[in-house]
Amino acid sequence: MKLLQYIWRNVSRNKLRSSLTILSVGFSLALMTVLYGYLAMQEAWGKAAVKRQRIVVMNKQGFSGRMPIAYVERVRSTEGVVAAVPYAWFGGNLQEEQMPFAQFGTDPDEVFNVWNEMKIDPEQLATWQRERQGCVVDRKLAEKRKWNIGDRIPLQGTFYPFSLDLKLVGVFDAPQYTDSLWFDWRYSDEEMRKVAEDQAGNAGTIFARCASTPIMPEVCETIDTRFANSDNPTRSQTEAAFAQMFTDMLGNIQEYIRNIALAVIFSLSLVAGNAMAMSMRERTTEVAVLKAIGFSKSRILSMVLGESTMIALLGGLLGIGAGAACLQTLHGISAQFFPLSIYQLTGPWLLGLVCVAVGIGLVSGLVPAVRAAQLSVVDGLRRVI
Amino acid sequence: MIPLKYNFRNLRVRWVTTLMTILGTGLVVWASVLTFGLVDGLDHALATTGDPLDLIVLRKGANDETSSSIGAQAAREITNLGGIARSPDGQPLCSSEFVTILTKPRRNEGGTTNVIVRGLDPVGRLLRPDFKIIEGRDLKPGVNEAITSRSMANRFENLGLNESIEINKIGFKIVGIFSAAGSAAESEVWTDLRDLTTSQRVPNAISIINFRVDDPAALPTLVDRITDDEQFKLKVIGEPQYFEEQKSASIALKFIGFVIAGFLTVGAMFAAANTMFSAVASRSREIGTLRAIGFRRRSVLASFLLESLVICLLGGLLGCLATLPFNGLSTGTANWATFSEITFSFRFGPSVLLRGMCLALAMGLLGGLFPAIRAVRVSIIDALRQR
Repeated sequence: MKLLQYIWRNVSRNKLRSSLTILSVGFSLALMTVLYGYLAMQEAWGKAAVKRQRIVVMNKQGFSGRMPIAYVERVRSTEGVVAAVPYAWFGGNLQEEQMPFAQFGTDPDEVFNVWNEMKIDPEQLATWQRERQGCVVDRKLAEKRKWNIGDRIPLQGTFYPFSLDLKLVGVFDAPQYTDSLWFDWRYSDEEMRKVAEDQAGNAGTIFARCASTPIMPEVCETIDTRFANSDNPTRSQTEAAFAQMFTDMLGNIQEYIRNIALAVIFSLSLVAGNAMAMSMRERTTEVAVLKAIGFSKSRILSMVLGESTMIALLGGLLGIGAGAACLQTLHGISAQFFPLSIYQLTGPWLLGLVCVAVGIGLVSGLVPAVRAAQLSVVDGLRRVI
Repeated sequence: MIPLKYNFRNLRVRWVTTLMTILGTGLVVWASVLTFGLVDGLDHALATTGDPLDLIVLRKGANDETSSSIGAQAAREITNLGGIARSPDGQPLCSSEFVTILTKPRRNEGGTTNVIVRGLDPVGRLLRPDFKIIEGRDLKPGVNEAITSRSMANRFENLGLNESIEINKIGFKIVGIFSAAGSAAESEVWTDLRDLTTSQRVPNAISIINFRVDDPAALPTLVDRITDDEQFKLKVIGEPQYFEEQKSASIALKFIGFVIAGFLTVGAMFAAANTMFSAVASRSREIGTLRAIGFRRRSVLASFLLESLVICLLGGLLGCLATLPFNGLSTGTANWATFSEITFSFRFGPSVLLRGMCLALAMGLLGGLFPAIRAVRVSIIDALRQR
């Protein structure tokens, strides 16, 4: 305890230097928190998907391939599948905004059996099932856009050669912000039939919920085998693997972020080490006095290391706090890129960052500490600075 | 003016501290310049593509090529419009193209992503900047052959020369590697228009028409002619504008870049300030002496600022130099506008390096300012009295 007090006195002695080091560690760790938080968010997003027992069936060629609507019924009748719906990305523009949120054409009768964690008022659901031009949206999206039940939402098609005139009939609650609007797949198909008969009847992708998690790979395989020799072979995967696909699309960016983070840690160790070395150089005589009155080498060593660690830890905690606040703000601005709030993200990665801060402290203190411990008393007392 | 020699000698005496600070700022500049180079490379891939005389015809309402489709009738009429430039051998420079995206795996287990496959008329090659075959030969129509760029061949499974890419159960043999001045075309696989639409079982489908006008003055009339046609339901945009709109793809990356550079620069500023404060503190007697022998306050201020600048600029120089091994390194990311992979190379042009040096300058100036002010504010008597 005494030692801790001594260390604290030393930290607060040169307030300017300590606070500059704390700030420089803090800023860099805030950056690392944001970067790693983003990566952790992607990972948590994928993990959350595993629990839902959902699989995604798409054309083997990718999103541009066709998924005949008849496949939905056949997927539904596969053993182990509880519910299945078409899920067609509409990607329309709202007035001048290009694809401001996600829009999907799906089956109102079944969709809440596939996404069984989402809740909607039964009356609103019944209205949606009745009204062909009705649509439902995520409650948070409705709040963000200040939409009320009964509002018209006109969507101009981008790759669909027609527009949709939708009416908001309900809002649903999702455990995580989905940023989505759902409309009746049949409505868009009718419109498609009017413009391009041969392109109608395309379900886009099929989302299905399985009875249990372990059977998911088997169900995927059964479905793919069944359609392998048809005109439209399929590729089925778990929702987690599907989410991973989007992360994969970003390519080497993740690796790049990790490399930047490494460089930051290294440069921080230099900066903090430099500050610590400067402090110790000024205190050479002092250390010699301590040794002269009987402080052991290990005691001196732990004193210096303790000081550098305390500084780095203070900066680290400050930075992690600031970075977390940044992430929370980003989540508020764009839930599409930052799908989770910081409260859903508390995990080992935060602890890892604290360890990084401690590590920087230890590494930066190492050289000055060993030097101080090795200092010969006579030399130290004689030195003039 | 205090001689520069004074600063350099001081830096040399405290060489460990100097070196550490140089390395620290150098790393920060390195990380920032690397990010700037990444963003610049992506911008370059989108920007070099646009020729102001080249126009792209899309379906009204389509945001990009992959979501567009044009009727065969409309396509024929556009090809026959007057005002389209001709190639040296008299062909109209007008290319009907079909664009689709296929989900394909990257090499070395890099995950899957979407690849743009474009079927086009032979004349379409003349509409790309500096299109040339650099290995193998160009494709022959009708026999399911394809060509692609060097970066795509290196990046994706089955896209190497003499390998074969599967499109709807039909194999397309890669017979050549092309280059197109680092433009967006280098992120695509090219094949013959008919071969692609046949294999995709959408005969006669056309996504876009790409053409060049022969006279800039005739451009507006031609644009109006196509846009105003009620039957066509098409829109025309200039190539530069089309790619300008796709730049939203790089906004996310730009944002990341500026966040990284911003945070790191502030962090490094504090580090530089730390070094300079300690330099001032340990030299207060010297400062007192300098003032006593008649140097003015502003000379002392300039001298310390200069010293901090020298440290940071050396660091900046080191950081910029360290990015050179990455120059031209090819990488790729998602272009959310087309929902597919765009490949590009790191580019460290003068503007990127200049930005890096500006960061170093900012670190040196702001980091050195407060220590330098402290240096000139000490009273001579106090400074000289210190041990």
